[in-house]
Amino acid sequence: MDEGEFARLQKAVHDARRPLNRITMQSELIKLALEGAVPKDKALAALDKIIAGSKDCSDSLSDLVAQFSPNVNDSGSPSE
Amino acid sequence: MLTVLLVDDDAEFTDVACTIIEFLGHEVLTASTLAEAREWLSKESFDHILLDFMLPDGSGLHLMESLQPEQNTRVTLITGHPSVKGIIKDMCGPNIDYLVKPIQREDLESVLQGKKQPASKRSTTAITRHFGQLIGESAPMQELYKLIGRVSKTKANVMLLGESGVGKEVVAAAIHEASDCEGTYVATNCGAFSKELIGSELFGHEKGAFTGAVGRKEGVFEQAENGTLFLDEITEMPIDMQPNLLRVLENKVVIRVGGTKAMPVNCRVVSATNRSMEEIAESKVLREDIYFRLAVFPITIPPLRERKEDIPLLAEYFIDQLNEENGSQFRWQSVQLEKLQAYDWPGNVRELRHFVHRAAIMSDPEGSDIELPKTIESPFAKKQTLSTGLKAGRTIEEVEKELIYATLEKVDGNKTTAAEMLGISTKTLYNRLHAYGDLNSDSE
Repeated sequence: MDEGEFARLQKAVHDARRPLNRITMQSELIKLALEGAVPKDKALAALDKIIAGSKDCSDSLSDLVAQFSPNVNDSGSPSE
Repeated sequence: MLTVLLVDDDAEFTDVACTIIEFLGHEVLTASTLAEAREWLSKESFDHILLDFMLPDGSGLHLMESLQPEQNTRVTLITGHPSVKGIIKDMCGPNIDYLVKPIQREDLESVLQGKKQPASKRSTTAITRHFGQLIGESAPMQELYKLIGRVSKTKANVMLLGESGVGKEVVAAAIHEASDCEGTYVATNCGAFSKELIGSELFGHEKGAFTGAVGRKEGVFEQAENGTLFLDEITEMPIDMQPNLLRVLENKVVIRVGGTKAMPVNCRVVSATNRSMEEIAESKVLREDIYFRLAVFPITIPPLRERKEDIPLLAEYFIDQLNEENGSQFRWQSVQLEKLQAYDWPGNVRELRHFVHRAAIMSDPEGSDIELPKTIESPFAKKQTLSTGLKAGRTIEEVEKELIYATLEKVDGNKTTAAEMLGISTKTLYNRLHAYGDLNSDSE
């Protein structure tokens, strides 16, 4: 893997980690709601955000696969 | 409490992190760019900065240049990549550390615990909190700890009796803490709900059960599944709602308002009242059958005047807490603690805590001396004096004398008005005062 590829990989992992960070924090919020420390409607909203975050994460991983598939040129876009 | 600046360009993350940081007891402000963060730093001083490594207008590290060294601000870098650890280690002073995404609540808790006054922290931990909640080493408290320890090993329902301010909710939380249960602790106040709403609060409701029931709601019995349900002011529950509660306690199932499905419930019920057992029986505020279901194990919490040796310990604990919250260095003098100990505290621990708080506000925040008012007064003090006067075991003469003096005090010593209030002639009042040796011939 050359430097350009490695930088692209780093960027893709960073993008995938972002929704994971949100998911973790939203889960912590749900724990607080279950303990009665924050209103339950916040927990419901947090669950929706977890679902959205999981989809974002999945999309980022798909992008990652696409970028490193053999049919991708150096600029990162699929070759025709 | 710390003032925290959270710098991150992910709005969803900052939003949820703020809720958690506020729950941890800190004040938090946010910035999504380096420029915004610099602006905050020019206006406010912060105890702690949580700083994302990659920001839209540059690396978070550039913010270090804007920090005033004398403010001793701690910085925690938030990074998505563990390799950053090495870079930070090289540049790290004692005030910088890092967190790797994804972040958990415990991570935030541990980094934010970093900057505390070590002196006050030491003294706080020196005071034992029994069952994580209760403070006091007196004999009545040792007895209370024994009862909590015993009952927590069973599933029995507990009724807490005690005057207002003795800490019934704290004892309920202590019972929950001591029990090895998986569920949560849920507290509700039976006196706080209208007749119409209490059913929904306790048992929940189905969508459309009544006007305004826009969604399904879990009742507190369901919320406390496998845990502890604390029903405060149980004697304030409307008497016509009590059969519903009895049914839940007897059958261990709950039916939501407007619902038909019986759902099993499994939680310990800890109830509380500030009425005595005799009063409960006489005033008929609680049905007998409910009383026996709830008070399988009644515990009476001693008033503060019956455990005066705990007053200095509690006062120390409260002032340590305030020192920690406000960064002050207040210390009690032994003569002040003696003064606190001499008072009866009719409002109990709650009154003492408020008194300490008030004293701390009155005192010079830069010094360590606590300014106490000359006298400790409470609107409850007189009520207490009179109510103790009516306890069995005293003679009619004693009670009569106390009533006469209380009336005279009320009317500023005016004997004619006092006699009228007492329903006796002025002559009789003078005779009584003579007999008490409180009048000489020239005062008539």
